[in-house]
Amino acid sequence: MTKEFEELKEALRRAPTPSARKAAAEAMKRYLAAHPAKKSKPTLVSLGYKKTYPHAVPVDRIPDELERNSEFFDLMGRIVKEK
Amino acid sequence: MPTTILMSDFDLPTRSCSGFMLRYICPRVEPVQLFGMLVRRLPFQLTAPQSDIIIGVGHGEKDAFTGQSEAIILEVGKYSPREVKGKIIKLISCQCGVELCPDLVANGAACAMGYADDFVWICDADLASTPWSDKLAATSLMPVVDGLNALLDGKTAQEAFDIELEGYSRNAGVEEDELVKACLEFNHDNAVLLGNAGARVSPRPRITFPIPPPPIIAPIFQD
Repeated sequence: MTKEFEELKEALRRAPTPSARKAAAEAMKRYLAAHPAKKSKPTLVSLGYKKTYPHAVPVDRIPDELERNSEFFDLMGRIVKEK
Repeated sequence: MPTTILMSDFDLPTRSCSGFMLRYICPRVEPVQLFGMLVRRLPFQLTAPQSDIIIGVGHGEKDAFTGQSEAIILEVGKYSPREVKGKIIKLISCQCGVELCPDLVANGAACAMGYADDFVWICDADLASTPWSDKLAATSLMPVVDGLNALLDGKTAQEAFDIELEGYSRNAGVEEDELVKACLEFNHDNAVLLGNAGARVSPRPRITFPIPPPPIIAPIFQD
């Protein structure tokens, strides 16, 4: 596992306070900078209903959504197995 | 026996997932295929009782599965048991494995497969008109396709479920992108099979179209 992804996981472990969300967003930005997308427009999608986060989040916009939305922060934490 | 296959198509995730159903599942099932605007409650009520298998792509939550533009298709306590009795049901949707799938089995479904948390993957938004050509999405969606094809080959629900899980593990094992790998492992860990694991449907002929469908030109909703 790369150092950047480890840092992202660590950042997502915290409770979704504004400061934790901001730290996770920064960690995600560092991960994306170290691992630029190979595909043209990679987008994280989900089949949720009545969620506060969008069904489709372009990967380069994940940091913004992490910082803005605690439910999305929690989802990302579950995806990377830190919650 | 007809197959009821519900393929919502109104935003990027439904387009991406339904695209794989169109390419890899539809050619081998009878033409009771509900796509786009037809994925609504009434067409489902008319077709489901005649089918032995129901395959659904749509948004969902713990107690509900939705179709086109999030029209409710199945909701705990709000459907007739004859719509699900004796059927194998696969819902490619978020969280339906928590309450809806157990309810389907309690109302007579032979078995129900879903996911206990969000069903997530990464796709290439630039390939929305030809979603079946999206290799990034294929990493996460082909295990689902392989499991469904196993069911349609006449394998048991447990065998099909195991094929799907093995697909996630195999792809995660070779995936270099850690985010894609995390999504694969997440879906693997949240997949659920409830009811009679030995249930099976009559085998369908294995037909693969040599050429993909034409591009889908219908617009999709952007969040």
